[in-house]
Amino acid sequence: MNEQAELMRDTVKEFADKNLKDLALKVEREGIPDAVKEKILEQGFVGSNLPVEMGGAGLDSLSHRLMLFELAKVSPSVAAYVFFHNDVVLKQLSSGNKKDLIQSVISGKDSYALSFSRLSGEKIEDGSNGAIRRALNEKANRYIELDASGTIFAGEGKAEPVKNFKPLGLRGMGVCDFLPSSKEECGTKEDLENILAVSSGDIAALFLGIAEGAVDKAIEYTNVRKTFNEPLKNYEPVAFRIAELKSELEMLKFVLFDEGSDEIRMLMLKDLSASLSRKATKYALQFHGGYGYLEDFGVEKFYRDSVALNAIIYRPVEDKRILASKIYFGKSGFI
Amino acid sequence: MNFDLDKELEEYSKKVREFSLKEFGNDVASKYDVEEKYPDELRLKALKEGIIDFSNPWKTMIGIEEMCRVDPGMGISVTVPYFGAEVLMLHGSDYLKENYLGKVAMGEKIMGLGVTEPGGGSDVAGLKTVARKEGDKYIVNGSKMFITNGTIADFFVMLARTSPPDDPKKRHRGLSVLVVERGFKGFASNKLTGKLGVRATNTGELILNNVEVPAKNLVGEEGKGFYYIMEFFNISRIFVAAQSIGIAQGVLDRTTEYLKKLEKEGEYVGEERKFKLAEIATRVEASRLLMYKAASFLFNYNPNPILTSMAKGYASETASFAAETAMEITGQIGLNSEIERFFRDSKIMEIWEGTSEVEKIVISRMMLKGDKSE
Repeated sequence: MNEQAELMRDTVKEFADKNLKDLALKVEREGIPDAVKEKILEQGFVGSNLPVEMGGAGLDSLSHRLMLFELAKVSPSVAAYVFFHNDVVLKQLSSGNKKDLIQSVISGKDSYALSFSRLSGEKIEDGSNGAIRRALNEKANRYIELDASGTIFAGEGKAEPVKNFKPLGLRGMGVCDFLPSSKEECGTKEDLENILAVSSGDIAALFLGIAEGAVDKAIEYTNVRKTFNEPLKNYEPVAFRIAELKSELEMLKFVLFDEGSDEIRMLMLKDLSASLSRKATKYALQFHGGYGYLEDFGVEKFYRDSVALNAIIYRPVEDKRILASKIYFGKSGFI
Repeated sequence: MNFDLDKELEEYSKKVREFSLKEFGNDVASKYDVEEKYPDELRLKALKEGIIDFSNPWKTMIGIEEMCRVDPGMGISVTVPYFGAEVLMLHGSDYLKENYLGKVAMGEKIMGLGVTEPGGGSDVAGLKTVARKEGDKYIVNGSKMFITNGTIADFFVMLARTSPPDDPKKRHRGLSVLVVERGFKGFASNKLTGKLGVRATNTGELILNNVEVPAKNLVGEEGKGFYYIMEFFNISRIFVAAQSIGIAQGVLDRTTEYLKKLEKEGEYVGEERKFKLAEIATRVEASRLLMYKAASFLFNYNPNPILTSMAKGYASETASFAAETAMEITGQIGLNSEIERFFRDSKIMEIWEGTSEVEKIVISRMMLKGDKSE
């Protein structure tokens, strides 16, 4: 790991311990507090991976992955907030050379609601008032949307709360019905797919952070929780599953933390990380028994977030098709 | 061999489905889920309209499945006011049946089962709640955790230690079942909120501080409580299998509809997603057949705990498999539909009434002793 990456990891770890750990439950219940958002901005996490000439900090990709990984371990919502702004919004704005809008995001003046339901099939219908329904980020003042025609639009507007709905995951970001007041074309579905393709390492970092956060919780709990007068860790089915999860996690982290990993390896990593995060979070909840089912214990959020993140940004069909085409040296897996 | 339900059960199943669709569609279920509110009016309506029918256990099982297929949180809420009733039916005195069970059956009271404790979980015999006999009453001290109907039940069928075990290795001895009313002095409860799923159901923590329970509220014989509760779990696990199959079937219905719609609109579906649908469908059928087999033993007064644990364990894992897979298939559409609620509701199936691990312990332990699943 290079010096910049190591420094980044230590900084984010310290930040998460000091500013997020005790607030993680509050984030789930009430959304990311403004004070936390301000600190994220102060630290320069938003815009960190954008080139200096575009107004960013020019952070290398490994350091950026480490940052997302460490944030996701404590609060997947906070990590996702940074990820969506850095990897989707700012990259999209950057491709259109919209420096003013970029600065507004980096300074915290603007925050974007995101709607990409079209990526995974049919689009969630707009509201009768033209609102973009169920957009991610309930405290946004701008939006970015992939519409049914495959065009990306962005603009200003107002986020309205959604009644009788509690999102499955990323509750710290929340969801809203976003009512646009302006609309500007800023790309195509293909642009977004390309952005997500080069963000595989960052997406893997989110999944692995979630997995490690959950596994850490499970290790801590099974060490102290006793049943039939023995700590849970003494039982084979518990200890062996934890050992398996930890082994997979360490192997995948090895690739995540490798500076030299290319795009295809990152795509492979994303696929395996998504799968591990679902498995690890499920076992972590199960090993907590009834307590795992309550939000107070901070483990069910990893389970929810893992599945929600999968639904929002993970594209197994498209990604596997790319991988298969590399193996077969041509088009494959399309029937 | 005939796998069809008889006419009476077919008609009952249809009636329950119609009731459920009419009374708790997505909007209603969402509201109770978000507000974490118990639908008491629905309990009374279900009773009035004959949806709750104790005349035939097959009806109970099939009714639970049908209700959970429409919505797990609401479906369980309708059927759970009677939770623990079998303990009183099988071992309660006439006094207990008349004064407690009868009133539950009439809809006048709600009951609950007080077994799990804060440090207990799967280890039922390790409970710490103590009931000390003093004259014609028991003085109960302790606490209970994750109790369904915890803050709404009028009374609880509660397991407590009435004497120390004669052998430290035989902790299941010396436990008894008592009927403890909410109104007894020294009884307190707190609602547990922030559950992942089944949020329309009420869950609480009970605190028992020198609660005086009349000796006539002892269920059956003193010292036999552990056996009564294990016997009860052998019954209730079938009903959890039914909840689980209802969830899995509900998820399957919705996922099938989603893929049909995509195909109709000319959207790409792909073999991978179709294979996943096929896996869910196959597991739902297998779970249901296993449940029917276990139920046929149980309802013919010949319970087979191996089969019951297999049915509960497999069906509960099928419920969460189905819901997780459905989330993968439906992506963001699923995230914004009932499927996400089914996903959250499904996980508790692998935890309550014996975790998946406990079911595997029961199965393997009995098989190694020479018992069989036939």
